[in-house]
Amino acid sequence: MKFKQLISLLGASVLGVSAVSAEDTVKVGVLHSLSGTMAISETSLRDILLFTFDEINASGGVLGKKIEPVVVDGASDWPLFAEKAEQLLAQDEVAVTFGCWTSVSRKSVLPVYEKYNGLLFYPVQYEGEEMSPNIFYTAEAVGQQAIPAVDYLIEEGYTKFYLIGTDYVYPQTTNLVLLEYLLSKGVPIENIGGGLRKDANGEVISAGKYTPFSHTDYQQIVAEIKDFAAGGDACVLNTINGDSNVSFFKEIASSGLTSDDCPIVSYSLSEDEFRSLPTKDLVGHLGCWTYFMSLDTEANKTFVKNFQDWLAKTDVTGVAKEGRVTCSPMVLSYNGVYLWKAAVEKAGTFEVDAVVKALESGISFDGPGGTVTSQKNHHLTKNVYIGEVLEDGQFEILESFDNVYGEPFLKGSFK
Amino acid sequence: MRRLHILCVWIFLIPFTLLAESRPTREILEDLVLANSSQTQGLLDDLSQTGDAFVKEFVDSWRIGEVYLWETGEETLVLHKVSEAYHRVSTNELLDLDADEIAGLSKARPSRKLRKALKKITDTIDLVSPVESVRIDAVRKLGLSGNAAYLPVLEQRFEVEDSKKVSRAIEEVLLVHRLKNSEDSGESLETVKRLGEIRSFLAKESIENVLQMALADDNEELVLACKLSLRSINNRQTLVNQLGNLFRGLSLGSVLLMVSFGLAITFGLMGIINMAHGEFIAIGGYTCYIVQNLFASWFGVQSAAYQWFFIVSLPVSFLVAGVIGLGFEKAFIRFLYRRPLESLLATWGLSMVLQQVYRLVFGAANVQVYTPDFLMGSFEIGGASLSYTRLFVIGFALLIVVATWLLLTKTKLGLYIRAVMQNRQMAASLGIPVSRVNSMTFAFGCGLASLAGAVLSQIGNVGPSMGQAYIVDSFMVVVAGSVGNLLGAGISAMGIGVVDQFLQPTLGPVMGKITVFAVIILFLQWKPGGLFPTKSRSLED
Repeated sequence: MKFKQLISLLGASVLGVSAVSAEDTVKVGVLHSLSGTMAISETSLRDILLFTFDEINASGGVLGKKIEPVVVDGASDWPLFAEKAEQLLAQDEVAVTFGCWTSVSRKSVLPVYEKYNGLLFYPVQYEGEEMSPNIFYTAEAVGQQAIPAVDYLIEEGYTKFYLIGTDYVYPQTTNLVLLEYLLSKGVPIENIGGGLRKDANGEVISAGKYTPFSHTDYQQIVAEIKDFAAGGDACVLNTINGDSNVSFFKEIASSGLTSDDCPIVSYSLSEDEFRSLPTKDLVGHLGCWTYFMSLDTEANKTFVKNFQDWLAKTDVTGVAKEGRVTCSPMVLSYNGVYLWKAAVEKAGTFEVDAVVKALESGISFDGPGGTVTSQKNHHLTKNVYIGEVLEDGQFEILESFDNVYGEPFLKGSFK
Repeated sequence: MRRLHILCVWIFLIPFTLLAESRPTREILEDLVLANSSQTQGLLDDLSQTGDAFVKEFVDSWRIGEVYLWETGEETLVLHKVSEAYHRVSTNELLDLDADEIAGLSKARPSRKLRKALKKITDTIDLVSPVESVRIDAVRKLGLSGNAAYLPVLEQRFEVEDSKKVSRAIEEVLLVHRLKNSEDSGESLETVKRLGEIRSFLAKESIENVLQMALADDNEELVLACKLSLRSINNRQTLVNQLGNLFRGLSLGSVLLMVSFGLAITFGLMGIINMAHGEFIAIGGYTCYIVQNLFASWFGVQSAAYQWFFIVSLPVSFLVAGVIGLGFEKAFIRFLYRRPLESLLATWGLSMVLQQVYRLVFGAANVQVYTPDFLMGSFEIGGASLSYTRLFVIGFALLIVVATWLLLTKTKLGLYIRAVMQNRQMAASLGIPVSRVNSMTFAFGCGLASLAGAVLSQIGNVGPSMGQAYIVDSFMVVVAGSVGNLLGAGISAMGIGVVDQFLQPTLGPVMGKITVFAVIILFLQWKPGGLFPTKSRSLED
């Protein structure tokens, strides 16, 4: 009897709580890898999202409702991402999801979001050639990272470009776009290093040199780069992902190639990745992002300080507190949340179709990296910065491009 | 007296003659650090006249952030940090700063543009460097820059250069330059012939251009000369590439040999399918990291003693992993000698536990182990360049092989090990302390794995899952070289390394690796026992 009473009491209280929460809160999904190989990058995005939710909740929430985060772990397992997405949409019925890092995880959740008519904000630089009605790409498109960097290098007088990357969809697609862009800029094909692969009809299907994930032996490639750079005015466009960068940069450093002889622009290395890289070997090489932690603006300083304060007092388990930095994917996540908030407020409802319509109409937000504006094609107009790596793992900003339009479909657009 | 003065200048600063009356280099440098962009060009011109070797030293420190600005309240001083002490640049006066003043210093950094301009100046300084290879690099850079202003400098250097290699490099770049700017076909003909004789790689592109023009002009003599020269250059280039491939193959083979040698003992000799082998490799990497940090706190990062952390960490990592391996052997490996499949599961579990321990202790991010100065850089043999880290790897692998061979064949422990591995019961009945020999053998195998990890810290990353990248390769080497045969492991490692490097230039890294795997599978179909199958009854037990 007593036991039954307890159960019913418990049931009533749970029901009661959920009844209250349904009125006062809105569920928001966070879908990142908190374990496995990608965890090292993606947990930082989870942290920044929780920080942003707390910041918004402290200032009154969205449409008077507090954000209630539903955090799930994609575990660096791409099919699992789809399952977790389904769980968020069907079971938790979240209003919006912020998540994914690798392109393959985005590709695997895409059909789920289209099926349930959900809304996903994707924050990491990617290869383009995609535009789902249910995804907003706050990420850098190729035209907002790879191409401005090439423009900068051409302006600096570099005439030879070596392409190298990890063998998967982002580097392969980006390099094909870059190849077209370089050719359209009048760079002769023999000045583009790394090799070309053509199909039976003679059409280029792959440009540049590719290594598998976790590749460790870069001797042959570095020797090739050294030959390539011997005549001067050469640079390397690097889309290697993850740990392999350590072996690559150590090999470069020991071969005697310096950043003055042949600078390397890395598209996948931001301040956050430098925490696990030999920064000494990277000094003087370049990066290109829509945000750098070293940006000298009031908005950025406040943002960095607020995040550090939040880190110091948060009690969420698994949040590393030491040596934390901010980087572009984190800021793009942050911007995404605020854009969504503004869109919801404009639409006056959490309903996905109305929110997407509001976003498509063009909403601006003054973020830490400058103003971003949502576009009809689900990408953002934003500033792009070129930076040079310093010994402390920060970037010195060399050049900025204001209000660069986000265009996902670049292949075949350069003539 | 005055003549003597000029003579001294001549000897030290050969390419430059206009410097007797100019301002001291140090003053110009101090001004340059403080200059705004409109003043720099004039200062750079002054600087290029000095040819003082100090410019290079200073610019290098400036780049790596060892030049500071000190606001004294009245003026801004430029300080140069040399082994933890601060000197004022313009006077070289040693300044005694207290901790507060040091905290108030701000780093000065040259802009990218300025560095590029300085690079040209430092390159001309490199031309008189005592190191031959530095001089050769400088010659090539100056000669190929397309800037005719450097040519007289190079010609002057040619007159006094006593190294044959450097003279050849100067001749080569001068010829290339002449060919590029030649208007007269007779001159081109001579130049092309000479470039062919000295087999100049640098000239290849220019000769191809000349060939195109000669074909258009129907100049048969020139066409023939171009073709002959190109052929001899290409032959030489192929040879150099093959030599380079061989070096790189040996170096990759040495890496494979080191990572697999520990496994050749624990799996090959003892029969434990040691899935935790990669985690013992990681012990070596982390030991390096700890020793490096200890050295940094004991001696300071700038001191000469700090550079030795890597050498010290090698024996330390061997001992640390040996002791840990001994512990695991006593704790549970010894129950698994007759049960290879259970050993697979148990060591796999151990591997996951160890990885998690690394994550908890050192964090999920990779840790950074620096390369000591004496391993930085590379040198050239016949046109193929090989870095010191790679040479060290090759030498060290050789050392490990020799040491293991001596241990196994020349010591009592080695005799015991071989006896126990051949037949446990028989060895026991002859009075050999079998369980102790087992423990020592396993500890030795773990120590070797850890040594490999310590060396790998110089060429790859150190992190919780660093061993995972090598575990498949290690098993591949041991199986292809015959389980239980150390010589086989050595030969198969070198073979796989060399084949991989020769395939890479044509197939690329991804297809190259796949091809190597395919070749090994086919090889094992043909010879299931590997390279040197052991004919013994003990394996059928």
